[in-house]
Amino acid sequence: MIELLNVHKTFNQGKPNEHVAIRDVTLAIASRRITVLKGPSGSGKTTLLSILGGMARPTAGRILLFGREITSLPERFLTEIRRGTFGFIFQHFNLVMGISVLENVMLPAYPRGESHLLLRQRALALLKMFGLAARSAAPVEGLSGGEMQRVAIARALINDPQVIIADEPTAHLDTGLSAEFMEQMARLREEGKTIIMASHDPLVCEAAIVNRVVEMRDGRLSAAGVLP
Amino acid sequence: MGSIEKQRSIIDFTLASLLRRKGKNAAFLAVYTLVVFSLASVMFFSQALRKEAVALLADAPELVVQRMVAGRHDLIPLSYVEKIRDIRGVRAVRGRLWGYYYDSLSGANYTLLVPEGFTWGAGNIAVGQGVARSSMAVKGDVMPFRTYDGRLARLRVAGVLPSSTELVSSDLILLSAEDFRILFGVPRRVATDLSVEVANPAEISTIARKIAMMLPDTRPIAREEILRTYDAVFNWRSGILLLILSGALLAFIIFAWDKAAGLSSEERKEIGILKAIGWDTGDVLAMKLWEGASVSLTAFLAGVILAYLHVFTTSAILFEPVLKGWSVLYPKFRLTPYIDLAQLAALFFLTVVPYAVATIIPAWRAATVDPDAVMRG
Repeated sequence: MIELLNVHKTFNQGKPNEHVAIRDVTLAIASRRITVLKGPSGSGKTTLLSILGGMARPTAGRILLFGREITSLPERFLTEIRRGTFGFIFQHFNLVMGISVLENVMLPAYPRGESHLLLRQRALALLKMFGLAARSAAPVEGLSGGEMQRVAIARALINDPQVIIADEPTAHLDTGLSAEFMEQMARLREEGKTIIMASHDPLVCEAAIVNRVVEMRDGRLSAAGVLP
Repeated sequence: MGSIEKQRSIIDFTLASLLRRKGKNAAFLAVYTLVVFSLASVMFFSQALRKEAVALLADAPELVVQRMVAGRHDLIPLSYVEKIRDIRGVRAVRGRLWGYYYDSLSGANYTLLVPEGFTWGAGNIAVGQGVARSSMAVKGDVMPFRTYDGRLARLRVAGVLPSSTELVSSDLILLSAEDFRILFGVPRRVATDLSVEVANPAEISTIARKIAMMLPDTRPIAREEILRTYDAVFNWRSGILLLILSGALLAFIIFAWDKAAGLSSEERKEIGILKAIGWDTGDVLAMKLWEGASVSLTAFLAGVILAYLHVFTTSAILFEPVLKGWSVLYPKFRLTPYIDLAQLAALFFLTVVPYAVATIIPAWRAATVDPDAVMRG
């Protein structure tokens, strides 16, 4: 369970280009559910996703992760929590070019200091699960959009996080690949993962597997609907 | 164990990252190595030469007395020998005969010296390797000399000096006192200068002062002063070379600073990705530190090893003319390997540390941004 209490986020505070991205948001995200933050561009979805995932700190308000306050933890501890709890899938995949698929998947686990051999085996198992075992040694720039998306998901799962955070995950995928992505998310939920996505794609927001859609506009929650 | 595995993984990634920009990094490494090579070569060479000179001068007399006429070195009367010998603390005084001879056939200047206890006898000479090469003389040959009054003197080469002493004996011809006096017309009652042996080294300066007072037309020179002059000459020559190299060095520093200090947008984005997927600032800095260390240590080691080979196996073939002096008779010799660890450490700190620091600062700046910059960017 992740809770946000009266969260505000202002960029460039006190400067002429000050911008308020999130205004007084209070929200509770249930575990083992798929939650979608929906809204037009500039509504604050991505910023809220960053705050939920411990990537950005709120200007005001509190964040509770499984009942523990993490708002003002020093960077090192916050990074450690983020690394162990969250897996991120970015809109532009954000893979590191020039290195292999396998290395990309292993990257988030390097700072944990586990045995290289075990880590490699785990990464290969994930790639096999996503049908990419044969491409493990290939450099990522040669992959198709769908393959890159799957590498990004495998990378998000390498540290076995409880929560998957995906920002506009279908923005660069066609209908077929988008549907495939949603199926993978459904499977991960069955495995006990909590999934939070930001999207304005109807294929995501209206998908049957989504438990809850939180609508946003101008940095506020405009409505919150709970689907079965 | 965990932290070793962690560093191992980070090093793996760093090396894989470096290999991505193979051409650029290889070119940089080559220039970096060249700079270390040049600096280390000058350092090794001048150090070894100085060391050699000190070792050779160890056998030189503690004090040499020259006669001065109108501010110039002149022949010294042997009657001074007795006067100096009477000074308390002087163990022995000897007249020395030496001079220079220009050989118009080979266009070279030879140093002619009458050694103490010349065993080959009158009419014979022993020559250095350089003289043997330039005049194509071997043992048993006769070398022609023109005396001071234009007559021809024929001296037989009775021996060639060993190559181990070549740095100082290359242009040397050893001969008997009689032949020397005939060749240059030096009268029997004078010598080139006097060598003075002093029983107690602490008294050298006192004795030198006494000689100067007793014989005002003389100039006593202590061995320490000669060593200082050698030092100054070697320092001056390596200084000239360093000055020439400093242009290249400056260009390299600007190039290295630019390369290390400016992160490309691609590198900046990568740091953002690493932070977003769970690396903290320390991990990113460790990666950059490994990157800087691997590049600069490789260049340092390669440069130093190449310089060592260059100086001690090829006798510094590239810097030869500047460091050894300009002469027809280049001595051919192999320097005794000698490395001053303090200087090597200085070179290390001047080349490796600035580069490592230059890599770290911009990475630190990039790594302290919020990880969500990647989400927003």
